[in-house]
Amino acid sequence: MISNVISLLIAIPLLGAVISFYAGTKAKFVALIASLIPLALSLQMYMEFDKTSKIMQFVESYNWVPSLGVKYTVGIDGIGFPLVLLSTIVSVLVIIYSWGETKKPNQYFALLLLNEVGVLGVFTSLDFFLFYIFWEIVLIPMFFLIGSWGGPRKDYAAVKFFIYTHVASLVMLLAIFALYFTYQMPDGSRTFDMLTLLAATADKTIFPTSMLNIIFAGLLLGFLVKMPAFPFHTWLPDAHVEAPTAGSVVLAALLLKMGGYGLFRIILPMLPHVDKAFVTIIAIIAVISIVYGAFMALAQKDIKKLVAYSSVSHMGFVTLGAVAFTWMSVTGAMFQQFSHGIITCVLFMSAGTIQHVVGTRVIADLGGLADRMPKFAVIMMAGFMASLGLPGMSGFVAEFMVLTGSFATLPVYTMIVVFLSIVTTAAYHLWALQKAMFGPILKKYMNVHEPHAYELFSMAMIIVLSLIFGLQPGLITDIMGTAATQVMEPVMTLTQMGVI
Amino acid sequence: MEFSHYAPLWGEALLTILAVLVVLLGSLMKNSGKLMGYLSAAGLVAALALVASNLTIKPTLFFFDTISVDALSQFFKVVFLVVSLLVVIASMSKYTGKGADEYFALLLFATVGMMVVSSSVDIITLFVGFELASLSTYALAAFDRSRKNLEAAMKYFIFGSVASAFMLFGFSLLYGMAGSTHLVDIAAASLANFGPATLVALLFVIVGFGFKMALVPFHMWAPDTYEGAPPLVSALLAAGSKKMGFVAAFRVILIALVALRMEWYMAFAILAALTMTLGNLAACWQNNVRRILAYSSIAQAGYIAIAFVVVGAAYGAMPVNVLNMGPIRADQLGIAGALLLILGHALMKTGAFIGTALVSSNVSKESETDPDDISNYAGLAKRAPITAFCMLIFMFALAGIPPTAGYIGKFVLFSSAIYSGLVWLAVLAILNSALSLVYYLRIISYMYLKEAAGPKIKEQKGYVVALVLTLLAVVWIGVFPEAFINWAMQAAAVLLPQ
Repeated sequence: MISNVISLLIAIPLLGAVISFYAGTKAKFVALIASLIPLALSLQMYMEFDKTSKIMQFVESYNWVPSLGVKYTVGIDGIGFPLVLLSTIVSVLVIIYSWGETKKPNQYFALLLLNEVGVLGVFTSLDFFLFYIFWEIVLIPMFFLIGSWGGPRKDYAAVKFFIYTHVASLVMLLAIFALYFTYQMPDGSRTFDMLTLLAATADKTIFPTSMLNIIFAGLLLGFLVKMPAFPFHTWLPDAHVEAPTAGSVVLAALLLKMGGYGLFRIILPMLPHVDKAFVTIIAIIAVISIVYGAFMALAQKDIKKLVAYSSVSHMGFVTLGAVAFTWMSVTGAMFQQFSHGIITCVLFMSAGTIQHVVGTRVIADLGGLADRMPKFAVIMMAGFMASLGLPGMSGFVAEFMVLTGSFATLPVYTMIVVFLSIVTTAAYHLWALQKAMFGPILKKYMNVHEPHAYELFSMAMIIVLSLIFGLQPGLITDIMGTAATQVMEPVMTLTQMGVI
Repeated sequence: MEFSHYAPLWGEALLTILAVLVVLLGSLMKNSGKLMGYLSAAGLVAALALVASNLTIKPTLFFFDTISVDALSQFFKVVFLVVSLLVVIASMSKYTGKGADEYFALLLFATVGMMVVSSSVDIITLFVGFELASLSTYALAAFDRSRKNLEAAMKYFIFGSVASAFMLFGFSLLYGMAGSTHLVDIAAASLANFGPATLVALLFVIVGFGFKMALVPFHMWAPDTYEGAPPLVSALLAAGSKKMGFVAAFRVILIALVALRMEWYMAFAILAALTMTLGNLAACWQNNVRRILAYSSIAQAGYIAIAFVVVGAAYGAMPVNVLNMGPIRADQLGIAGALLLILGHALMKTGAFIGTALVSSNVSKESETDPDDISNYAGLAKRAPITAFCMLIFMFALAGIPPTAGYIGKFVLFSSAIYSGLVWLAVLAILNSALSLVYYLRIISYMYLKEAAGPKIKEQKGYVVALVLTLLAVVWIGVFPEAFINWAMQAAAVLLPQ
């Protein structure tokens, strides 16, 4: 076992980012190595990870600013670890996918690595202050990825992305400060320690419900904007449409997961202690996100925007599963985070590949591409099937678990989702796929050809992963199951919470 | 009395002698610009070392109790010396020819003036230091003798003089009331016979300092002056001479007029709220980068002014367990936060103005438009990569994004506001920080996202050295803030009775 493995995990991409910045055209090799090492480390951690343990593992803790109670504390448990794994996998694949990037490649790969640093930091920090720093760090590379490599309205999209999510983070920061300034440790000192503060929220004498409600709402807003959930999703389509492919992939696969991670890590432990109405509010937001996302996707002309709205819809399942608060639904929601994280990569990569091979992403202008790019068509079809929830792929397992688990506690909401979104989801996926890839080939596309091998490789890897986790979900749901038990330990059901 | 008795003041003495020497040598030698630059830099480094050797000295009085060398004065002296040093280093690339000796001499005199102010515990000494610094900077503001310079200097001079007049009138009332010019005597007198005259004096003093600190509504001169003065002088004005206003206000208002704290508490609450909000809002609409920075520095003055409100609200409160520093007082914490913010802001603003100096000095040659217009920053990342990167960090630091020097002061200051029951002010300040990101981000997006507005700029050595040094300091304070927090706490204790 390697000591300080989490710090290494964060430090290596950071070092890689600095080296790539000065590596000129060789940056991609540096980036690949700097992302493969964390992948290897995280696989090694997977081997050593105790799947049945409910306590933090691989913990490191050092004093940073003692007078403010800020510590450098990192560690992982079943909530964070699957996302760490996801981040290292996606980072490698996205770097491979971007192998042909020629515009300022040194900065491009450096920013991708910096993004990895940020998300890994978010998923492993156990100190609110550190958590917030990483949470903000993530914005910076994404801002530049959208702003420098983006489409025609990149400036607008980059600034909107930054301001929108930064304001949400600030609301979150205010809530964190409220926790920090209210809670005193037995010896009178203050702490930013996440687990200590969260445990303290259970104490009604320190945090009266009326006050905790406000804190909770602030934190919730920070996470819902990031996820994004209706009605805070409007930054996402703009950011996605203008972002370069790799930016979109990282945004959808990793950045959105930060919001979901916040739900499990911070929101669920507090949920039993706040006003019961929050359960209803979150459930309604979740249902609207799922249904509204699906219908909006159906209405899109741009295939990338379609995928963007499908993210809103799929992330709604995470919110629903979390708030339904059964063991099955919470595990399913965590698995949906992981599953959506990998599947959405192939969707955005497909959209990106179509854009640069054909020159347009407007679905109506496409047609019959499968004829000229059969390999790509197979992979893209597999990706779309995974996304719409084909049994055997990971998306199906995750959404099935969420729906089954949620039905027990939130039957009405679940039925609305089942009736309104499942067919719609299938419809927009199949319609877009059919229109873009199949049918008679259009004359103007006679000259298109298969994309580069590295693009196909990274997409194919994701399909393989989706199949593996679809057929053997236990590989990762074992970890998540333990985490779900751990989250729900104080109160096991919504009934005990007094909601229903 | 022995010469070594004055050891804590050797820094000021050295710089005064050096300034005179620079003028003398400059009139005797031709083409001595470079030498003067090096001489000034060396002098400032030596003065810095002298000040640093007495960093947390116990309060010691000199010259009939008019000058006090204590942790607070040393804190500000370090800030002033560092700012001047950075400006001198950057200036070595610009002022090399004729007149350079005058430039460096004025800069040294201004620094001495600021140092005297930071040590003054007597209103006359304070006023003399103030005028020494102000007169030197009036001349510096017009140094390049362009139309804009003259306009800026004129405005600065008129507003500065009016502010001085207000201040002096307030001082005269204080003297009439107390019969002494020492701050401690005035404090005792104002406590003993509190009357309308004291209130009028307070009003005049607040207005006078309000001008110097550029609090809304006394801020109008700042954007015009910072925009029109030579950019390196703007760095000195925003980072140095403005902070002089703060140290003077701290001493006069918190020590001499503490009896009236219920009166100035409300005044500063309104001033702080107005200043940060209007400063930030106004900055969003500017197209001139130096005006943006000017309004941002007005907004920062608003944050710093929160310290007065905190002291007013929590003066003499019982020590409580705040943060993790054991039992301390909220008022002390508030001043410490303000000091940290002053230190951080001085560095960030110096860096940012040096960056604008580099850009405008290279742009003005080729275009007839306003050299500080934001359009000239388009694609700066390509044209001047080091400058752009440093500016990027300064912008994030000014917005208070950790881990840079900007966040630590805000954190401590806003915490103290929360501890003293001023939650509304803390929330307003945090929301203002969010708002400020709008215009900082605008500069960043011009530098990094737009197509380059021209060919590559040659980044002169002096500017680059100054920028990189500032950058290192800004990051250092942010990553290892512990020592700075302790230092600021010690300095803050000077202002409060034990």
